[in-house]
Amino acid sequence: MIRFEDVTKAYKGDVVALRELSLEILKGEFVFLVGPSGSGKSTFLKLLLRDEVATGGKVMVAGRDIGRLGSWKVPQLRRNIGCVFQDFKLLANKTVYENVAFALEVIGRPKHIVRTQVPQILDLVGLTKKADNFPTELSGGEQQRVSIARAFVNRPLILLADEPTGNLDPATTVGIMRLLDRINRTGTTVVMATHDQRIVDAMRRRVVELDHGSLVRDQVRGVYGVGS
Amino acid sequence: MSRLAYFARETLISLRRNLLMTIAGIITVAISLFLFGGILLVSATVDHGTQQWKHGIELEIFMNVGSTAKQVQVIDKELAADPQVKTYKHLTQADAYAIFKKDFADQPALVESTKPSDLPESFRVEPQKAELTEVLALRYKDQQNVATVITAAQQIKRLLTATRWIRLAFISMASVLLASSLFLIVNTIRLATFARRREIEVMKLVGASNWFVRVPFMAEGLVQGAIGAGFAFGLVWALKIIIANLLSNQHTLLSTFRVTSSDALGIGTLVLIIGAGIGVIGSIVGLRRFLDA
Repeated sequence: MIRFEDVTKAYKGDVVALRELSLEILKGEFVFLVGPSGSGKSTFLKLLLRDEVATGGKVMVAGRDIGRLGSWKVPQLRRNIGCVFQDFKLLANKTVYENVAFALEVIGRPKHIVRTQVPQILDLVGLTKKADNFPTELSGGEQQRVSIARAFVNRPLILLADEPTGNLDPATTVGIMRLLDRINRTGTTVVMATHDQRIVDAMRRRVVELDHGSLVRDQVRGVYGVGS
Repeated sequence: MSRLAYFARETLISLRRNLLMTIAGIITVAISLFLFGGILLVSATVDHGTQQWKHGIELEIFMNVGSTAKQVQVIDKELAADPQVKTYKHLTQADAYAIFKKDFADQPALVESTKPSDLPESFRVEPQKAELTEVLALRYKDQQNVATVITAAQQIKRLLTATRWIRLAFISMASVLLASSLFLIVNTIRLATFARRREIEVMKLVGASNWFVRVPFMAEGLVQGAIGAGFAFGLVWALKIIIANLLSNQHTLLSTFRVTSSDALGIGTLVLIIGAGIGVIGSIVGLRRFLDA
């Protein structure tokens, strides 16, 4: 599903964010991306979204070299990749329902699809009763559920999560992780960058550790840090 | 259809949110395009006049008042024998008086106090070629008993020089204003994208096509440009009516100047196209920095 082949990403001023990284993530896998700040986790996710382009090597998604994608094809790529962030990125002037529906409307999905898909996905994340609330009226955990609903409503092949629990308390975090796990079980590939040692240790999924842009560990049923 | 409704809604929301900037944009587009269209209309009017002169460029040779019939006949004979003259017409004092009465119809006292014998006889001459007008004028000006020679070209030239300068001044003013209206639209669109940067971020994230993101903003620019141009169209039309009224009271040289509805319509259409174009170009420039980042 995802393959990095000797990927190097250098920014202006000789900052190397990723160094000859090679890695393959299969369809339906759940992968934790760990490492200290500045290790290249965010760059890894940005390359997958074609927010950035690799300066060396190839980034393949579903068999296509996305570095060579024309800019008009980037939206098509992004429709297949859902995205969740630490700061939720919800629109404050839209209700929960509208926030989720927005993701379908702006890619031109017809109304009847929106009307059936949005309630379904709100049910999945357990927010049916809050459909008409605004994001500011929700707790952090609920807001993250909305953002997951928005990322998943189009049934993408891949779900990227960048520190999705970074702003949440431990109890809420567990709920979010259950949700991501559930989404993973539908066959969606999940890649989650995180600093949260407890959830990585608890979930026992594949762990990819980066340090200074290099792959230092790739463990099938890993924990957060070696020896911890 | 739902997509059209979406674009319409988004465009309206955005226009309302930036109401003051939108109005400023519309006003500058309207004023600059009115200046532009107005000067084109005046040029068209003058062109109609000069067009007429081109068909039979005339020069008029005025005799001294009180020249004898014999003295007048000298010139008459000379014109008849002149190979450079195609046709000519002798205007007697009675003819001159008829024209005089018409020209000063609104000043009866002047007409009353003027007798045909106070007016000069003259010859209206059509040269073989238009280029000969000046040559003929020079030749006949110094003839005995000739008071003066007036050529259409002299008057037209003076008018054309004047209109050329006015045209230049107006067009440069219009360009400066057009440029500033472009900047205003660019700025309005930048403000609009800034106000909606979070929405745009989400749209790009979930894979909305570039056009889908752009169209509401481009429509916003287009609406501004088109409304401004619409006002300019109305003003050009009003100017056409004013010019037509002014000209209908003229019996002199200007009587050959005309302004037609089709002139105003053509210029108005041009103005509309430019206005819409400015709106779209402004929004594309305004969007570039934000969307391609």
